[in-house]
Amino acid sequence: MYRGREGQWAFLLHRISGVALALYLLLHVIDISLVMYGPDGPFNAFLGFYHQWPFRIGLVAVMAGVVYHAFNGLRIIIMDFTGWGVKYQAVMWYGVLALTAIVGVPVLVKVIPEIIGRA
Amino acid sequence: MAVARPKTLRQAKASYATNSELAWWIFMRVSGLALIFLIFGHIFMNNIQINVSNVDYAYVATRFSKGWVKVYDSFLLGFAMLHGANGLRYNVEDYFKNPQRRFWAKLILFSVVAIVFVLGVMTLWAFSFEEMGDAIDALPHGN
Repeated sequence: MYRGREGQWAFLLHRISGVALALYLLLHVIDISLVMYGPDGPFNAFLGFYHQWPFRIGLVAVMAGVVYHAFNGLRIIIMDFTGWGVKYQAVMWYGVLALTAIVGVPVLVKVIPEIIGRA
Repeated sequence: MAVARPKTLRQAKASYATNSELAWWIFMRVSGLALIFLIFGHIFMNNIQINVSNVDYAYVATRFSKGWVKVYDSFLLGFAMLHGANGLRYNVEDYFKNPQRRFWAKLILFSVVAIVFVLGVMTLWAFSFEEMGDAIDALPHGN
């Protein structure tokens, strides 16, 4: 199996995270639109269902996808609009991964205790 | 993949036969930049400042009774739906090689996106949640 180098992994992760985020967006708009049924409608029951821990972990994955897609999107913009971007694309991809971790870890510290019921 | 997608603005200008494809190429970069701020802000407000498991009808209705939230969320909805729909379209163009299947995939994609977009606009603008102020305040977890 051909495993490629940094550029291919950056591209593949951007695609996968992008498709996942687009599908999440559609689901998210639909579930929030249930407020239109009012306080006695299905909104609270529906969100209560989503507040169970498997979906909270899914939400962590969505946030990770957002942060990676955002920073790799910046990397793409830099490659497109500067003369030096393509030359440093591999280094910048490691920067993208580092920034994703730097933003992601504090979010995990905030969110994990909520999920395991200690906050 | 029939034609490799361009990697620089100059290549994009040279290789796209239509103005609309170039416009979408630019839109993905401009909207992407805006979405970084809009979505990071959205996650910060609804996932970091609060425990997202406390989100309920009262929380959402209170948010949607504020004018600035309606405007903020309208930009978020508009940019995100167009950016996401066009991104999904890129995937359809790349991976659906059969022209007939590609046609139907795009038709279904655009139909679903249009319906969900209208649903989002209705949620933001077709209801005056502020008129329900007292009722919302009386609900548990109101904030």
